[in-house]
Amino acid sequence: MSAPVSLVRRRMGKFRRLRRGYYSFLLITGGYLLSFFLPLLANNVPLAVKYRGEYFFPLLTYHAAPEFGQNAFGDPEYRSLKQQFANAGEGNWVLMPIIPYGPNESLLDVPGTPPHAPSATHLFGTDDRGRDVLVRLAYGFNVSMTFSILVMIAGYATGISVGAALGYFGGRLDILGQRGIEIWSSLPFLYTIIIISSVIVPVYLPGRNLLLQPSLWLLVVILAAFDWMGITYYIRGEFYREKAKDYVGAAIATGVSEAGIMFRHILPNALTPVVSFAPFTIVANIGSLVALDFLGFGLPAPTPSWGELIGQGMENLTKWWLVFYPLGVMFLTLLLVVFIGEAVREAFDPKEYSRLR
Amino acid sequence: MSDVLLEVQDLTVHFPVYGGLMLRRTGEVRAVDGVSLTLHRGETLGLVGESGCGKTTVGRAIINILRAMSYGVEITGRVLYHHESGVIDLASLNRTAMRPYRADIQMVFQDPYSSLNPRKTVGQIVEEPLTIHTRATPAERRERVRWLLEKVGLSSHQVDRYPHEFSGGQRQRIGIARALATNPKIVIADEPVSALDVSVQAQVINLLQDLQQELGLSYVFISHDLSVVRHISDRIAVMYFGKIVEMGQADQIYANPQHAYSKTLLAAAPRPDPSSARARRLSSGGKR
Repeated sequence: MSAPVSLVRRRMGKFRRLRRGYYSFLLITGGYLLSFFLPLLANNVPLAVKYRGEYFFPLLTYHAAPEFGQNAFGDPEYRSLKQQFANAGEGNWVLMPIIPYGPNESLLDVPGTPPHAPSATHLFGTDDRGRDVLVRLAYGFNVSMTFSILVMIAGYATGISVGAALGYFGGRLDILGQRGIEIWSSLPFLYTIIIISSVIVPVYLPGRNLLLQPSLWLLVVILAAFDWMGITYYIRGEFYREKAKDYVGAAIATGVSEAGIMFRHILPNALTPVVSFAPFTIVANIGSLVALDFLGFGLPAPTPSWGELIGQGMENLTKWWLVFYPLGVMFLTLLLVVFIGEAVREAFDPKEYSRLR
Repeated sequence: MSDVLLEVQDLTVHFPVYGGLMLRRTGEVRAVDGVSLTLHRGETLGLVGESGCGKTTVGRAIINILRAMSYGVEITGRVLYHHESGVIDLASLNRTAMRPYRADIQMVFQDPYSSLNPRKTVGQIVEEPLTIHTRATPAERRERVRWLLEKVGLSSHQVDRYPHEFSGGQRQRIGIARALATNPKIVIADEPVSALDVSVQAQVINLLQDLQQELGLSYVFISHDLSVVRHISDRIAVMYFGKIVEMGQADQIYANPQHAYSKTLLAAAPRPDPSSARARRLSSGGKR
C-alpha cells in the first residue's frame, strides 16, 4: 500500500486529469481572483503621481484637482494631467493603470456621440453613456461571480440545514417540511423577486469604485430565499440513507452529540450532490442576475453589470458591440463554468469509465 | 464470577408502521416481545436465533441507540446496569443522561463495511470515543490509539489510512479497537464475524477471546452461527420471533435442547461430517 488516499484526494486527482474542466477551473478562478485587482488594472485613477518632488497615491487617499495645479473643482483629470506633465517636462509624472478608464466614467472627450464604436483606445467601444464596455464587462465579471457565489453559499447553507434536519429526524417533521418546501417552490420566483425589488428602493451610496453596493446583499438574500429548495431533496435523501448505516449507530453509541453526528459524521458523506451541483448553481445564479439587471430590477444604477449592457444592446441593435461583447463574455463564462461542472460530476462518478478526457 | 453486571427485564421493542398522507399509525412490528436476560461479570452470553428474530434489536436496545436511530420506536421494560454507584435503568435514560454510561457499554457491529465512516481515518475513528469520554491530551489520545491498534493486531503506523484501504477482517479489528477505546465493561458483539471469510472468522473470534481474558470484558455475543456461538459462549439464549425460548449453559443447550425451536435450530446447523445421521433425524422435527 502506498500513502493513504482519502476519497476527496482521489476525486481531486481525477478532476485534474479531466483537462477541459480543470483548465476551465483554472481560468475562471484565476480570472476571478485577478478581477479583485481591477482597480489597479483598469481605472481612471492613477497608481502613483509625482508632483513637485512629492509622491501621491490617489487610489489610497483622495486628492482634489487644485492640489496638482489643475484649474478645476473635484476630481482631477488624471489623463490630461499625465499629458500636461509629460509636455512640461519638469520631472512630474502620472502612472496610470494599463487601461486608464474607470467603470463608471463617462468619456465625454471622445469625438462623436456615444455609443462609440470599438477603436484602438476602446477595444470593445463605449456604451450609451460613453463608458468603456471592456472595463465595465471586466468589473461586471467580478460582480456576477461574487453575486452568484454569495447566493450559492446562502442558499446551500439553508438548503443543507433544512435537508439534513428533514432526513435525520424524519417522521412528521419530514412530511410537513417537504410539503412546506413544495408550496414555497411553487411561487413564481422571478415575478416575486421583481415585486420585492420594486418595492424596496435600492440605496445608492456615493463613492468611487464601490463594487459591493448595499443592495447587492439585499438581492443576495432575496435570491437565496428562492434558491435553496433544490438541494434539500438531495441532502434529505442522502441523510436518510446514511443514517441507517452502522457508523451512525456507532457514533450514537459513543455519545456523539446530535449536531456532531449530523455535521461531522453524515454531512461529509452527503456532500456529493452539493459539490456536483455547485457549478451549475453558479451558472443559474449568473443567469438570474443578468435577467434581473436586463429587466432593470437588479443591482442599483451605476454598478457595472452584464444584464444592463445587454439591455442597452437590445435598445441599440445596430450598435453591434453592445450586443456581441456582453453576450459573448457571458456565454464564455457560463460555458467555462459548465465545463467545470461537467468535470466535477465526472470526477464524482463512481464508475471509472470516462467520457471526457 | 456470579455477580450480575447487566439485567434485561421484560424488554419489548415495537417499531410502528406508518401510512397515509399524515403518517398515521397503521400497525407495528414487534421486534422484541418480552425478553429477559442476565449477563454476569466476565462471561460471554451467546444470543442465537434465525435472522429477523430480534437479536440485533436486543443488542441495540441495551446500548440505547434505538430511539435515536428510528423514529417513533416504542420501548418498554428495563435494562438494568449494575454500576459501582448503583443499579441504573439504561432504557429510561435520554441522550444526555446516557452519555456517562456509554463508555462502559460498547458495540461491535455486524457489517465492517458500513460501521466505519468512510471519510475518517482509522486514527480519527478510534480516537473519537476518547475525545468524548476522557480528558486525555491529544498526545495521550494518539498514544492510546496506537496501543489499541497494536492490541487488535493492526500496525500502529496505519493510523492515517482510510477504511477502504483495509480488508473485511482488518476493518472488524478497527471496529473492535473503537469499541475498546474507553475501557468498556460490556461489549455487545453483533454478529461480528458473519460478514467475514471462515479463515478470518477464527482469527477475530480468537482475538475477542484473548481481549476478554486480558481486559476482563463481558460479552453479549449475537450470532446465527451456532458453531461460533458454542465456541465462545458460557451461556446461551435462544431467540425466536422476539422471545427467548430457551436459556442455559452452552454445553447443556447443545447436548440436550429442550424447546422444539432449539432442536430445529441445532439440527439445521451444517455439520463438517456428512456421515452424521443426527442432523437428518432432527430436521424432520419442529419446522414451523
